[in-house]
Amino acid sequence: MHMADALVSPGVAGVMFACSGIAAGYSIYKVRLEQDQKKIPLMGIMGAFVFAAQMINFTIPGTGSSGHICGGMMLSAVLGPYAGFLTMIGVLLIQGLFFADGGLLALGCNVWNMAFYGCFVGALLIWRPMMRKGATKGRITLASVLGCVLTLQMGAFSVCVETFISGISELPFGAFLAAMQPIHLAIGLVEGLVTAAVLCFLSEARPEVLWGVNHEGEKEGRLSFKNTLIVLAVAAALTGGILALFASAYPDGLEWSMEKVAGTAELEAAGGVYESAAKIQETAAFLPDYALKGSESPIGTSISGIVGALLVVALCVACCFAFRFFRRKELQ
Amino acid sequence: MSEKEIEVRHLTFQYEQNDAVLQDVSFQAESGEAIGLIGANGAGKSTLLKLLVGLQLQFEGSILIKGLSMEKGNLERIRADIGYVFQDSDSQLFMTTVSEDVAFAPANYGLPPEEVGRRVQAALERVHIAHLKEKSIYKLSGGEKKLVSIATILSMTPDIILMDEPSAALDPRNRRNLIEVVNELDPLKIIASHDLDFIRDTCGRVILLDSGVLVKDGPAERILTDRALLEEHGLELPLSLQSAGRDS
Amino acid sequence: MEQLAKRNQWVCAIHPLVKLFLTVFYIVLAVSFSKYQLAGLLCMLVYPLFVFQLAELSFFGALKRLRIVLPLVCLVGIFNPFFDREIVMWAGPVGISGGVLSMLTLMLKAVFTVLASYLLIATTAMEELCHALSLLHVPKIFIVELMLIYRYLTVLLKEAGRVTDAYRLRAPGQKGIAFKAWGPLLGQLLLRSYDRAEGIYQSMCLRGFKGQFYSARKGGFRRADFVYLLAFTTVLSVLRFLPVAEIVGRLVL
Repeated sequence: MHMADALVSPGVAGVMFACSGIAAGYSIYKVRLEQDQKKIPLMGIMGAFVFAAQMINFTIPGTGSSGHICGGMMLSAVLGPYAGFLTMIGVLLIQGLFFADGGLLALGCNVWNMAFYGCFVGALLIWRPMMRKGATKGRITLASVLGCVLTLQMGAFSVCVETFISGISELPFGAFLAAMQPIHLAIGLVEGLVTAAVLCFLSEARPEVLWGVNHEGEKEGRLSFKNTLIVLAVAAALTGGILALFASAYPDGLEWSMEKVAGTAELEAAGGVYESAAKIQETAAFLPDYALKGSESPIGTSISGIVGALLVVALCVACCFAFRFFRRKELQ
Repeated sequence: MSEKEIEVRHLTFQYEQNDAVLQDVSFQAESGEAIGLIGANGAGKSTLLKLLVGLQLQFEGSILIKGLSMEKGNLERIRADIGYVFQDSDSQLFMTTVSEDVAFAPANYGLPPEEVGRRVQAALERVHIAHLKEKSIYKLSGGEKKLVSIATILSMTPDIILMDEPSAALDPRNRRNLIEVVNELDPLKIIASHDLDFIRDTCGRVILLDSGVLVKDGPAERILTDRALLEEHGLELPLSLQSAGRDS
Repeated sequence: MEQLAKRNQWVCAIHPLVKLFLTVFYIVLAVSFSKYQLAGLLCMLVYPLFVFQLAELSFFGALKRLRIVLPLVCLVGIFNPFFDREIVMWAGPVGISGGVLSMLTLMLKAVFTVLASYLLIATTAMEELCHALSLLHVPKIFIVELMLIYRYLTVLLKEAGRVTDAYRLRAPGQKGIAFKAWGPLLGQLLLRSYDRAEGIYQSMCLRGFKGQFYSARKGGFRRADFVYLLAFTTVLSVLRFLPVAEIVGRLVL
């Protein structure tokens, strides 16, 4: 589910960086407010723990195949959503840089798709309300599975939207969605089960480690389980609504390619969603596609162009070889 | 001139509702001494060390470090004078490179950068690892990590050094090297270990603990050669003495 | 990776902020090409080619890193030729469709961006990168966390390796960890990590930690840094904003 740099346009990356940046800034503010210095090393270690946990393969019951976890929900259940979110950013940055999983430019998207949903939606909207009445095995399992499935669905949906708005793929939006969501339903289930197993173990072995659990089981929180369900229902309805809007505005995703928006084509389609999407697209195209004077190709690429590019590269390679040759000579 | 660096009186400690880990422990230590803290697993050695640096404050009795009583308000001043070498070097060394880790303490005590740099260099030279300065911590061997751990506290120029199982998991050569390094350090040293040979090579005085009770406090040569005493408290004669005994 | 970045080599000695900026700049430029601008994008190969040469790194060794990125990118791009069949270009008698062009562009972008990130970390050690981030006023708490993750990554990976090895030795013939053992196995690992964090916190406190981290790292910009920065921004900007490929191509054809 990690998005690569190549899948996003600079505009989309920028918007997502801004969104994730705001969430990160808020998290830092909240973590500082807690004044808990112990959290600093704990965040670092838990980040490293996510890598370790990802290395372990879990056999999925009944299938024989194996999967691994990505951890936002588990981190938040131990660190709380804010510290958990910051930790996930660190994890994603290191994954992008050192393991080529994700990337620098797509970091904003990845943080949003994986960390934001997992930590904020998963922990704040699902985990905490359900733990208000104290932790039981059943409630932990339900919260973990529900949280992981739901946040991964949201993440997968965001991946589709971001890729689509970036104008990278010709794949119709619906088809992309149809491929991504079921895969991530399965991944979410597995991750939910692993998370549940670990958190159940923790609540037995060292319950004080878990965040947001009401150990006395006395006070009723602001958000009861019923309220949570209502919140979730509203969220689901909203998501569905946006999806429907997209679908009706663009019955054919193919029609809506980057060229059409940034280029000359007049678009008659109306609707708020479209306009905002187009606005994002305009930002995405802040770097002008250079229009060639007298070029025979309106799309910016022609055979002569490609030949020229290959020549430039070849020249470069030649330079490099010459450079190496002279350096060897020098060494001798 | 010798002065009392550590004074422990009637120290009793327990973790929450569990049994007492330390019971009515009293001893004093003077500057320049090297004290071996011995006892079987679970005798309370590590706990005693932790109490001496104030990692636990809910104890009964009193602990005085250089005349300062161990309480929250004095912690900062006390800790500036005590270096604690953890058993697990990986917990102790949390920075990325050797020089950054050794610089951590002096930088936190607000020394100017030049002085920090000087201290780092001096500390590394004292344990003979100046060549490791720019290395990454995770690339170090176990023996090197232990030496770096010692350097990280030497850079604070402490008057008291506490070590928890310093020789654990070291190969014979690194262990030999560590003994030399430890013997070159002049502050008051308290070394907790069940490696009695190591204690014999580094300490002049030994404190024997058993189940949280201070059993014996005296010269190393006397306690470490007392087979009956050691065996009564779950320990064995140092290996070096065992073979010597067989020879005679 | 660490070894590569710590070599006594002049690209490694370039100021980390310069390298970080150039990497992001390059990635943004490369990604900003529209999906049909294959020629322009191809020219962007100049940067990795040169830096690989300057930093004396193996180009083909780095290509291995693509194995993680390529699957998803391929999944997204592979359909382009089927959906976008309009012929946009003629190479002699062979018509090339927009879909083929956009698929190639996408894949090149993936290769280039991965190479650029690789070049950054193969020439810059983690602590230098963190130093660059602190110069950019990224909050300290995040930088410290990043350094700690990096520091304990290997420690915990080794520990996880030991745990799974121990499991496998006693459970022959299983492909992964069985459902029943999920919680205890990973949970124990988590608790041990939790306790380790406690130990680290104690170690910090004993050495005067009061919530602040000080960096002793200094060293400002040197002339070489400016030259490096200027040279590459100029070259990259020219390649991005001027139709270099087209001009060279027309001269030849």
